[in-house]
Amino acid sequence: MRIVIAEDDALLREGLAMLLRAEGLDVVATTDSPGPFLSAIDQYQPDVAIVDVRMPPTHTDEGIVAAVEARKRQPKLAVLVLSAYVEQAFATDLLAHGSSGLGYMLKERVGRVDEFLTALHRVADGGTAVDPEVVGQLLSRSRPDSPVSRLSARERDVLGLMAEGLGNAAIAEKLFVTDGAVHKHIRSIFAKLGLSPDDRADRRVTAVLHYLNDQRK
Amino acid sequence: MPRLLPRLRIAVDGLEHIVGGLGTALLALVALAWTVLVLLAVPVGVGLLLVPTVPRVLRAVADRERARLTRWGPPVVGPPPLPEGIRDALRDPAVRCEAGWVGIHGTAGFFLGAIGISLPIYAVEYASFPLWYRALEPEDGGPGFIVWRIDGFADAAVVWLIGALFVAITIWLGPAIARLQALPGRRLLGPPDDVDLALRVAELTLTRAAALDAHAVELRRIERSLHDGTQNRLVAVNVLIGAARRATDRNPAAVADILDRAQEATEQALAELRSVVRGILPPVLDDRGLAGALAGLAGTSAVPCELTVDVPGRCAVSVEATAYFVVAEALTNVAKHSGATSARVIVRREGDRLLLSVVDDGKGGADETGGSGLGGIRQRVAAYDGRFMMSSPTGGPTRMDVELPCGS
Repeated sequence: MRIVIAEDDALLREGLAMLLRAEGLDVVATTDSPGPFLSAIDQYQPDVAIVDVRMPPTHTDEGIVAAVEARKRQPKLAVLVLSAYVEQAFATDLLAHGSSGLGYMLKERVGRVDEFLTALHRVADGGTAVDPEVVGQLLSRSRPDSPVSRLSARERDVLGLMAEGLGNAAIAEKLFVTDGAVHKHIRSIFAKLGLSPDDRADRRVTAVLHYLNDQRK
Repeated sequence: MPRLLPRLRIAVDGLEHIVGGLGTALLALVALAWTVLVLLAVPVGVGLLLVPTVPRVLRAVADRERARLTRWGPPVVGPPPLPEGIRDALRDPAVRCEAGWVGIHGTAGFFLGAIGISLPIYAVEYASFPLWYRALEPEDGGPGFIVWRIDGFADAAVVWLIGALFVAITIWLGPAIARLQALPGRRLLGPPDDVDLALRVAELTLTRAAALDAHAVELRRIERSLHDGTQNRLVAVNVLIGAARRATDRNPAAVADILDRAQEATEQALAELRSVVRGILPPVLDDRGLAGALAGLAGTSAVPCELTVDVPGRCAVSVEATAYFVVAEALTNVAKHSGATSARVIVRREGDRLLLSVVDDGKGGADETGGSGLGGIRQRVAAYDGRFMMSSPTGGPTRMDVELPCGS
C-alpha cells in the first residue's frame, strides 16, 4: 500500500511515517502543506493519503479542501483525514459526495495502532471509517421524538458501528454475536428508521449518516 | 429648634462646596491667566508654539470641576477626548464652553467663593468679640469694618449683634452662594442640550467592541498555541507509545529509540505548555507590578541587559501582560539569535500609550519568518491595536519598538 502523508507538525509527521513503515507499509512521501501534498499525489499516484485538517497557511480547513481536490484529480484515491478535534461540518463536507474510500478520524486514535490500521485498510479497500466520536455526537444529539429513540440498546450499538463504517462481519466480531444476529438487527433498524436496506457498506454509511444528521436538534 | 439643625447641616455642606469651588476657581484663574498670556505672546511667535497647551489646560481644569460637581449633585458627563489637531481642538464646541467657563469661574466664581468663605469668618469673629474686646485698646475699634471706638461691654454687644447677623446670613445665604458658584459649571461643562448622548454612546460602543475584538483575538492566539503546540505534541506521544507497543512484539531493539522520542515530545509539550501559560498572565505581574516583573526578566537574561522603566501608575492587566510577553520574547531572541553582548530595554508611558523598545548590539538580520517568535509578538501587539516596528539591518544593531494603548 503506497501512502502520502500531509501533516504540518514535524514530530507527528515523522512519528506517523515511522509507525506505518514499521508495519511494512510504503510511505512514499511526507509533506507539510497542501501545495506539496497535491504535487506528491500527482507524482506518486499513491493508494492512500493521510491528511491533517489544519495546515498552513490559515490553519483552518486546508486539509479538507486539499483532500477534496486530491479526490477530484484521482477519484480512486482513498483519503483518511486526521483531526485534532471533532468538527461536524468537516465530516459532513468530506462525506457529502459519498463515503467510499473516505475516513475521518481523531488524531488520538492513531495511538491505538491495531484499530488505526484496521480503519486505514478499510478505507484503502474502498470502505469508510468515521470516528466513533462523530457518530456518538450524531446519536446523542438526535431529537427526542426521532425514530432513533425507538431503537433497542443493542440496535443502537449496531447502528453506531454501521455509521463508523464497519461491515457486518466486523460488527458481529465487535459485539460477540453471530453474523445472522447482526443481519437481523440491521433489518430491524432499517425498518424502524424507514430506510431501504442496503448491504453495500459504503452506501449504507452514507444513508445512516445523512439520516442521523437530519435527526439533529 | 428642630428646624435649625437641618438648616445648619445644609449651611455646613454649602460651606464645604464653597471651599471646593474656591479651589477650582483658583485653578480657573491660573488657566485664564495662562490663556491670556499665550494669546498675548502669539504676535511674538512664542505664543504659537504654546497654543496647543491651551485646550489641554482648559480641559484639565474643567475636568476637576466636573469631578467636583459630580461628587455633589447630578453627574456632569464630560465630552469625548480632545480632537487630535489644534485647529479642530480650538473649533471644538466643548473646548469653547470650557473657555467660557474658565472666564466666568476664574473671576465671578472666585469672587463668590471669597465672599462665601469670608461670611462665616466674620460671623465667628464678630460674634465672639465680647469675649476678647478687652484685649484691644478702645481706640483700635473692632474686627473688620468696626473702626469706631469700643467703650465697654455695651459697644461690644452691638458688634456681637452684627456677628449674629452674619451668622444668619451665612446660614441662609451660604448654600445659595454655593449653588450660584456651581451654576456656570453645570450649565457649560455638561453635554450641550442639543447634542444627543447617543453620539457618546455610539463612541463607547465602538471602543467596547474593539476591546472585545482584542479579547477574541487573544483567545484565538491561545487556542492556536495550545492546538498547534501542546496538543500536537501529545498526539505524537500517543502515536509513539502505540508504535512502541507494537514494536515490543516484533522488533524489541527499536523500543528504546521510540520511547526516547516519546519522552522528547513530552518534554517539548511541557515546555510549550509553560510558555503558553506564562503568556496568558504571568503571576509575577500581580506580585511585583510591571517594573518588578521586567526587572526579573532583565536579571535572568542570558545577555546582560540594562532596563529603564518609567511607567507611573498601572496599565490594564492585559496590556501589562502583553508588554511582559513582548520583552520576554525579545530577550529570548537576543540571547538565541543576535550574538549580542548587551541589550537595552526601555519602557515608558506617554499619555495613554505604553512605549517599549528593545535594542541590542548584535549582528542584526532578524527575520520574522524564521520562527523566531517575532510573528507571535506582532500578532499579540496587533490584538491590542498596538504598533510593532522592527529594524534589523545585516550587521546590526537590531531595534524593536512596540507601542500599546494603556487602556487606563
